[in-house]
Amino acid sequence: MKRTKLAAALALAASLALTATGCGAPSGSDSLQASSGGEPSGTITLWARDSQKGFMDILADAYNKSHKAQVQVTIVPSGNFVQKFGTASAGGSGPDVASIDLVYLPYFASTGVLQDITDEAAKLPYKDKLSPSHARLSTWEDKTYALPFTAEASVLFYNKELFQKAGLDPAKPPASFEEILNAAKKIRALGPDTYGFTMAGQCGGCNIFEFTPSVWASGGDVLSADGKTAKLDSPEVTKALTFYKQMHDAGVMPEAAKTDSGTAQPALVQAGKVGMVVLGAFFTQTLNTDKKIDYGIAPIPGETGGSASFAGGDNIAVTTGSKNKPAAWDFVKWATGDEAQTLLAKNSIVPVRTDLVKSVYASADPRNEIFSKALETGKTPYSVVENKLFNDNNGPWATMINEAVFGGDVQAAQQKAQQSAQQIIQTGP
Amino acid sequence: MAHNTIVTARPGKSGRPSVPMRPLKRRRTLSTSRSRLGAMVVSPALILLTVFFFLPVVLMLWMSLNRWPLLGKISFIGLGNYSAAFQDQDFLRAAGFTLLYTLIMTPMLLVIGVALALLIRRPGKASRVFQSIYFLPVVVGFAAAGYLWLFMAQPNIGPMLDLLTRAGLASHSDNWFGTFATALGIVCAMVVWKVAGMQMLLLNSGLQSIPVELEEAARIDGATRTQVFRYIILPLLRPTLALLLVFSVAGSLLAFDQFYIMTSGGPANQTITAVYHIYRVSFQGFQLGYGAALSALLMIVLAIVSAVQMLILRNSDHN
Amino acid sequence: MTSLQSSLRPVPRAAWWIINTSLAALVLYPFWVVLSQSIKSPAEAAAAPPTLFPGSFSWGNFAKLFTNENGGAGFIQQLGNSVLVSVGATLLTIVLSTLACYGFARLRFRGSNLLFFATLATFMIPFQAVITPLYLVLHQIGLTNNLLGLMLVYTTFNLPFGIFLMRNSFAALPSSIEEAALVDGCGVLRAMVRVLLPVAIPGVISTALFTFFASWNEFFAALILMTDQSKYTLPVALNVLSSGTFGTLDWGALQAGVAVTIVPCIGIYVLLQKYYVGGMLTGAMK
Repeated sequence: MKRTKLAAALALAASLALTATGCGAPSGSDSLQASSGGEPSGTITLWARDSQKGFMDILADAYNKSHKAQVQVTIVPSGNFVQKFGTASAGGSGPDVASIDLVYLPYFASTGVLQDITDEAAKLPYKDKLSPSHARLSTWEDKTYALPFTAEASVLFYNKELFQKAGLDPAKPPASFEEILNAAKKIRALGPDTYGFTMAGQCGGCNIFEFTPSVWASGGDVLSADGKTAKLDSPEVTKALTFYKQMHDAGVMPEAAKTDSGTAQPALVQAGKVGMVVLGAFFTQTLNTDKKIDYGIAPIPGETGGSASFAGGDNIAVTTGSKNKPAAWDFVKWATGDEAQTLLAKNSIVPVRTDLVKSVYASADPRNEIFSKALETGKTPYSVVENKLFNDNNGPWATMINEAVFGGDVQAAQQKAQQSAQQIIQTGP
Repeated sequence: MAHNTIVTARPGKSGRPSVPMRPLKRRRTLSTSRSRLGAMVVSPALILLTVFFFLPVVLMLWMSLNRWPLLGKISFIGLGNYSAAFQDQDFLRAAGFTLLYTLIMTPMLLVIGVALALLIRRPGKASRVFQSIYFLPVVVGFAAAGYLWLFMAQPNIGPMLDLLTRAGLASHSDNWFGTFATALGIVCAMVVWKVAGMQMLLLNSGLQSIPVELEEAARIDGATRTQVFRYIILPLLRPTLALLLVFSVAGSLLAFDQFYIMTSGGPANQTITAVYHIYRVSFQGFQLGYGAALSALLMIVLAIVSAVQMLILRNSDHN
Repeated sequence: MTSLQSSLRPVPRAAWWIINTSLAALVLYPFWVVLSQSIKSPAEAAAAPPTLFPGSFSWGNFAKLFTNENGGAGFIQQLGNSVLVSVGATLLTIVLSTLACYGFARLRFRGSNLLFFATLATFMIPFQAVITPLYLVLHQIGLTNNLLGLMLVYTTFNLPFGIFLMRNSFAALPSSIEEAALVDGCGVLRAMVRVLLPVAIPGVISTALFTFFASWNEFFAALILMTDQSKYTLPVALNVLSSGTFGTLDWGALQAGVAVTIVPCIGIYVLLQKYYVGGMLTGAMK
């Protein structure tokens, strides 16, 4: 009995030792083409984050109706996506296809969990008409690991009714830090439960999307173009942080903003209690369904004017662990094609095709024009440690914003964050 | 805290299973078959413990000597992870906060536990009913309790905040999770609610083992209630108190759920505990080797706490 | 120990009642919140400021909770996972710890003492401290994101407590009774079932309750080891609910989820209070 036990333990230890060295993702067959050359078949799994729930099912249904291969969608909470996808990929229980927030692409590409699709992507007829920011994020060391899938851009939403009540011109949205601050103060004066502005003060991912454009529009940046140097202590960041701090100090933001991890912000706006907020295209869908508030959309201004936007959204990739790559690739290709992209636009999602966006998306609502423009000019930071730097709610970025805006010392918060961010970059993924 | 505290129970006094009397006429084969059977019935439990406990402990020590990313190449770096730990400001801050939390939580729980135990120390059905009520939150999990209290204290919509606002003690827009002191306070309140009932129960059984005659004699001799408590009850309660002390120290050092759920480590990372930091390093940063090194350090601290526990209990056994 | 002199009561009778009633109200208040909140209509549950009493009774929040499909993995499935993992871990813990206890106490073999102490040594190191390598071990044998893996982990970390709790009842039994059964021609295992098990029943029930509560409520390991929403247990499901969809948090549904998580524990506690409390005292004090 004892011997059996010992043997079992030894066998386990040996298997651990053997596999420990190659703890990467187990890979399936490498070809993206069906071996028979016919139509791909079988069932594939797809992971997407929860904000895509609304349209992923519609898209999957459309694909499943017209294809032999069938796709099954699993929704993963946005906040847990990196952790879940990372651990699942390492454990071999990941999906065949993943729709990934584009900012994480460099990291996942660098770890080898995504399939290299350089050759196949180059054959697509619309390869030059995909959102440039998405395409840049899909590339790691000159190879392509994903295709642009859905686009998203940050803009300033404002409540026209509250603007009117506060004596502001709803047709003339604020175009500088000062104008936003003044408008916010006037709206705040409307009543004890009405606020001028709100933000998600404890959410890194929200703020890279909502706050960074204020830095960009003022001529600065948070990260060097090659992703090797953090710029959290730059003067433009100081200006944008100081601007937000002024709004907090003036009392135009609700107390709840400080600890909002992104869950309170939209609800407040929907309830018509907030004058201005920075959110993305997805939010128009919510507001349009709601029909409760009359809203306007404006570009996010810099200190003295200008404008910028975060080019967000998802890229879609085949995983190296996929057991059915032909079907996975077929879905990825289809998802970026005309049919799928048009379907997305019908569901208020910005398509990633610059050749389609005007005809199928911008035409639906004049307010959409701004999103389609952002597709071409929007910015996105590129880093293999993006998650640790920016999206992590306890990372340097989120902590800096929380400390600077709601605390006291803007510059001290920046110094601390800069140091810790640079350390993360140096350590690598 | 509840389940950990239970598991840390004391194996001290009669840890050795009594040796069964062996029958005199027993033949050798019976003995062999009995011990063979013994090994057999014990083995399933031992296999589980080996695979899911002893092996991980050994593996942890090995992992801690390597740079071990979840995805990517593993490389041996000796004690690099350990030296990194002592320069990691985030870890040091987390360790400091965990210590602070333990220092706040432990006396608070002890005092409230003793107070409750004395309060329900009265014959009759009523006190048994109250005892059951005070114990009720113990069976609720930390996650459920965390989400419940998170909601109760939410700005604008939280019922507890609303009650206090109606009483003129707060305002609907207050954000208790927004400052370090109030965020920690609300978490501590939740933990007291959830754990004090168990402290009470254990203390109550400690109180019951104190002979009434002793107290009576002291009262007859003219001792005041306070004196009886101070000079008779408290000393005799010492072993129980020591046990509870170790329970809440170990439980507080391992705190994770309540902070992950209620404060997300905020405001501005001020409420990240040691286990929370290990979770972040290993499963959000994917640095398993470094996470293992931090775990090993935590294990050493816990082993020291357990050793102190053994010592205290051994001493009290001789009384 | 029921007769205590009135002189030993720390407070007078009236004050005692006032203090206890207020404390009881304080302790029960959170239960009232979760109950009242989950039976409000979804609209009322989102009201700011909240209503003191539910304006109307509604299953709306529960309906939302159970129909809110997240990629095919709804709350019902997660409830099922919790039941499966908790019940499975409980049964496994009882069987394995009874067997082990019997072996350690009655069927001693070379090295059994040492192994017994090794088993008890696991008390010293809770699983939070070994979660990183534990994850890797499970990962290597293909049991991450697997309900069986979670069940085995829960079993492992409740086993020592079960063994510890039951060893007293096993050791206390006079061996003559067992021998009598053996002489009567019972096999050793039959002897165990016939003679020892009845003695061990209270310990078994206490172990079962502890394991069940610990597994049902466990959050940390489940959060780390399960990656697929269809494999989540209730505490992690609450985490998903609280992260919201489209960034909007449905507090009504979340409180309904908390209610579903709490109610079984309270029900079991009220029914089996005697064993739970008794077992806790045995485990801690004996």
